[in-house]
Amino acid sequence: MEENTSSNPVPEQQPGPAPKLEAAPVPVPPAVCLNTRLWLKVVAALYALSLFAAAAVISKADAARKVKPGDMDLSKFTGLVQSKKDAVAVIPLYGVITQGSSSRSWEHGSQQIAKRIRAMSEKKEVKAILLDINTPGGSVGAVQEIYSAILRAKRETKKPFVARFGDVSASGGYYVASACDLIVAQPGTITGSIGVIFSVSNFEGLMKKVGMKNEAIKSGKFKDIGSPTRDMTPEERKILQGMIDDSYEQFVAAVADGRQMPLEEVKKLADGRIYTGRQALGNHLVDKLGDLRDALDAAGELGKIGKNPRVLTDADPFENLMSLMDSKLQLFGTKAVTDALELGPRLEYRWYGR
Amino acid sequence: MDNFNTLEAVIDRPEMLADSRLPANFGQTGLLGYVLGTLGFFTFLRMLSAVPPGVMSFMMVLFFVLAANFLFAAIMHLFMELTGVKGSASRLFLAFGYSDFLLTLLVPAGFFAKLDYLNAFFGFCLCFAAVLYARVMLVRRLYPVSSNKAALSVGLPYAAFMGLAFFGFIYSIAWLVWLVI
Repeated sequence: MEENTSSNPVPEQQPGPAPKLEAAPVPVPPAVCLNTRLWLKVVAALYALSLFAAAAVISKADAARKVKPGDMDLSKFTGLVQSKKDAVAVIPLYGVITQGSSSRSWEHGSQQIAKRIRAMSEKKEVKAILLDINTPGGSVGAVQEIYSAILRAKRETKKPFVARFGDVSASGGYYVASACDLIVAQPGTITGSIGVIFSVSNFEGLMKKVGMKNEAIKSGKFKDIGSPTRDMTPEERKILQGMIDDSYEQFVAAVADGRQMPLEEVKKLADGRIYTGRQALGNHLVDKLGDLRDALDAAGELGKIGKNPRVLTDADPFENLMSLMDSKLQLFGTKAVTDALELGPRLEYRWYGR
Repeated sequence: MDNFNTLEAVIDRPEMLADSRLPANFGQTGLLGYVLGTLGFFTFLRMLSAVPPGVMSFMMVLFFVLAANFLFAAIMHLFMELTGVKGSASRLFLAFGYSDFLLTLLVPAGFFAKLDYLNAFFGFCLCFAAVLYARVMLVRRLYPVSSNKAALSVGLPYAAFMGLAFFGFIYSIAWLVWLVI
């Protein structure tokens, strides 16, 4: 009760709370003061009236914003204000193509790219999809995942796909592009490198020097094929060559199918060599030369929305932030550990000249 | 009209808040206060194009208001209990709904703000101050405490969360700078 003895005590008439507060409610007695009731009614009426007026103001403000979207650039807030105007979706495909982790949505692995292709192609306002490719390729499985995602999207939505080559679009990058309806390259783009590679390091000599020995207990003689701790046997080389040849045949078939070229003609070009964009145009590996603007115009025309189309990107601020964080955290050494773990042999549609 | 009667009774005889016998529809009217107050707040924000339209958007704001008030009432009650003052937390939460009736004033405030007769932020601050004042008065009725202690208990959670938000803001700015550099 010391609170009541403070400098500003509660008025006398205010009783302290009873220890038991869960008593049954009592009916409210008739109003003791007509004035209060009158005021409450006036306020309620004014509130209802002001709600109607506010609704009119809101609808007018919304209408004005739709008429004049240029007053304020809201294109960045795509989540809040989504225009349903026809557009060309742009999906970037940068860097080495790897599987990526499905739990890390900000990574640009093949799973995330395939998911984006599906999501973009399912949007009604998207009339064509442009793949902005700048990659030397990557692992076979990852490249084929993106390739099949494009084919599926084309089959299910009938929307055209355009590939645009930037600095480099070789090997796996070209594999992906071959699924597109149109390929636009810069004259100086490095492309081609149609082929497969399987490289494995041999640390046997190094391990002998440092006194380290590896022992493998295996169920079959080929179980440790591609091991970096010993020389490759001729039989293993033959098996691996068979795998390479099979993957190569898949690559050539994909290019022949996508580019509608005879298989033999593709094989002549597919000896692993690289081409400039202009050379590729001469060999019918690309359809036209141009920059990103030209590629967008071509996509707009294929999508029947004309040149200079509206561009839709699926840039997610959260994913961008996570990607930025991830790249910064790699400074603490996680990148070095990841790279070390990725030293194992892999079958790749990749150009190593970069 | 029951809610009208209850509201009228609470305004005319606020001392009944501390009675063992509450007026009929006390809880219902308190919740109605939250809904109407939030509707006023939401309309105000919509007039300023600060929130997206739609029922879901309103429900989000309503749930936020209810959750925030529930938390604040709990903190205030805890503060009171820790300082040896007895009262009812549920009654405090419902009483805050009565103070939220004042947020309906945001609708005309927003209207005048659109007409450039009133600064929107000033209007909001005015309504918020009125709500805080009403809450201090309600706390005084529900707990046997002085005005100073009632003001302290009402201001405490707001101050704490503002401090936390400010700290979070400063830290996020420093963190973004670290990310970019």
